[in-house]
Amino acid sequence: MSKVMTMKEAISKFVHSGDTLFLSGAQHGEPSAAIHEIVRQRIDHLTVVACLVTTISFLIGEGLVDRMLTGWYMQNQKVSYPLSKAKAMDKLPVFVEYSHFGLSMALMAGQMGVPFMPTRCHLGSDIPKYNENIKTIACPFTGVNTGVVRAIVPDVGIIHVQRADAEGNAQKWGSLGMDVEGINASKTVIVTTEKIVDSDVIRRDPNRTIIPGFRVSAVVEQPWGAYPMHLGGCYDGDMFGFMMETGRKDGYETYVEKFIYGVSDWNEYLKLRRESKGNDYFEKLKIKNPVMSEPIITGYQEAAK
Amino acid sequence: MTQDEKGAGYTAADQMVVSAARHIKDTDVLYVGTGLPMLATVLAKNTHAPNCTVVIQNGTVRKSLFALPRGTDTLGTQTMADQLCSLYYINYLGQAGYVNKGFLGAGQIDRYGNVNDTVVGDYYNPVHRWPGSGGANDVMSFCQNTIIILRQSKRRFPEKVDFVTCPGYLDGKPGRREELGLPPNTGPSAVITNLGIYVFEDREMVLKSIHRGVGVTLDQVKAEVGWDIKLASDFGDTQPPTEEELRVLREKVDPQGLWAGGRRALAGPEEDID
Repeated sequence: MSKVMTMKEAISKFVHSGDTLFLSGAQHGEPSAAIHEIVRQRIDHLTVVACLVTTISFLIGEGLVDRMLTGWYMQNQKVSYPLSKAKAMDKLPVFVEYSHFGLSMALMAGQMGVPFMPTRCHLGSDIPKYNENIKTIACPFTGVNTGVVRAIVPDVGIIHVQRADAEGNAQKWGSLGMDVEGINASKTVIVTTEKIVDSDVIRRDPNRTIIPGFRVSAVVEQPWGAYPMHLGGCYDGDMFGFMMETGRKDGYETYVEKFIYGVSDWNEYLKLRRESKGNDYFEKLKIKNPVMSEPIITGYQEAAK
Repeated sequence: MTQDEKGAGYTAADQMVVSAARHIKDTDVLYVGTGLPMLATVLAKNTHAPNCTVVIQNGTVRKSLFALPRGTDTLGTQTMADQLCSLYYINYLGQAGYVNKGFLGAGQIDRYGNVNDTVVGDYYNPVHRWPGSGGANDVMSFCQNTIIILRQSKRRFPEKVDFVTCPGYLDGKPGRREELGLPPNTGPSAVITNLGIYVFEDREMVLKSIHRGVGVTLDQVKAEVGWDIKLASDFGDTQPPTEEELRVLREKVDPQGLWAGGRRALAGPEEDID
C-alpha cells in the first residue's frame, strides 16, 4: 500500500498541536523541509525531542515549542534571536536537559518498550537536579548506584533519508546520530526521502533499512529535503552560511517571510533559494568524485526452470 | 592577557594546540569534541600519532587521516571512516570501557576538575548560559583520561563551578566517582590553556608548566586562577612548539586559518564570557 503524499498532506495529517515530536538528523541530514512545513502550518504547543537540529530555531522563534528535550542548544538569549523573539511573545520553551547519550537512552527505552534505561552518564553532575526524567537507583543485583532515564515515546517522529520505497521502508546511511532509536521510539513515523525507489532496490540491500515500512505512516519524496545540512552520498551542506544568514533579527525575519511564509512548498523554496544564491549554488554542493562501496551478495535468485 | 610574544615566532594559541596534541598517543582510542580538541587531534594525526583511533559522537570511528572539520559531523569525517554508526554505539564503547581518552573544550573548570558547560549563576535566572552538555558529560563520565582544553581567565577557573555539567573529582575526596557509580579509574587527567598545562595530584588540579616561551609568568597564571593553585612536583616550563609542529599546524592542518591568531572560527562548546 502506497503511503506517498505531499509534505503538506503528511504534516497536516500526522502532526498536531500539542504533540511530542522527534526530529532526526543530529547535524547529518535533518528533515529541514518538514520543519519548514510545520512552521508554515503553525502547528504549536509542541514538545520537541532533538539533538543538534539547526532549523529547529524556526520552530522556537515562531513560538511553536512549549518544551524542548535536548542535550545542546544555544540558550544564550543575548546571542540567540529566535529565543529572544520567543521570549518577547511569552513563548519561550522550557528546556529539559540531558547529555546526548542520556537523551539517546531515553529514546532507546521508548524503542524497546521498557519504562526506563540504566546508564552511567549524568552521575555526579547537576543535570538530574533540573530534569525529573533522570534519577538514580540501586542496581537490583549489586546495589551499585546506577543512573536511569525515563523512556520517551514521541507521538510523531520525522526522518529524512537518502532512499525509501512507497511503503516506507527507509534506508539511511552515514553517521546516524539518534535517528534509529528516535524514529523507532515514535508512535507515528513520517519518512521524507531524497528519492522514492522501487521496493526491489530496498530488498536487494535490506541491512540498510533503519525502519520497516509497516511502522511508517507517510512517505514524502523531497529532493534537497535536508538542506542546509549535508546528506551523505547526496550533497554537502551550508550550515555556517545558513547560520550567518539567519542568526540575527534582520536576516531571520527576512528568511522567515520570504522562504517559509512566502512559499507554498519546498520546490518553490528551492527555486527561490537558487535565484537568491546564484544558479551554481546547489550544483557546488553536490558530491564530486564519489566514493563507491563494493557490491556485496545479499541473496540468490531461484534457478530458471 | 597573553598575546603573541614578539620574536617567539608562535602565539600562545599555537602553544596551547601543540601541547594538547602532544597529549595524544599513537595507540589511543580517543573520543573527541568539536573545535579546539579536534584541531589538536588532527595535528597529532599529522605528526606523532597517525594511528590513533578517533571516535566522534554522531557515529564515526576512524583511523585514517581527515581534514579539520568545521562541525561535529561533516562529509569529510564520514568519508572513508572505519565505521559509521549511531551516537548510542559510540557511547556504548565509552560506557563499557573501551575508549581510553577523551578530549573536550569547556566553559569553566574548577579546582577538582569539574566542568561547567551549562550556566553561571542561578539555573533559572542565569548570569550566563552555555548550550549545555552535548556529549561532554558522556565523555567525562566514561573515559579513562579526559583532557580539557580552554582559554584561561579567572572567570573560567573558579574554585567551584556553579553547575557541574561533567563530573571531575567532585569534592576531591577519594573514591567519590566510584561511589556515584561512575566507571572506576576514570576522570580528568590534564588541562591545557593558553597560559599553561595542569595535571591532577590527589584529584586536585595543579600547575605543571607555564608557557614561558610566549612570555607567560607564574604571577600571570596565578592571577587567572580562582584559588591558590599548587605547583606540580615537577613544575617547569612548557616545551615550546617545534618548527615542524608549527609548519604542519599552519600549512597542513589549518591552511585556511580557521584558527589564525587564536580567533575561534570553529564550532565548539566554548563561547566567550570574559
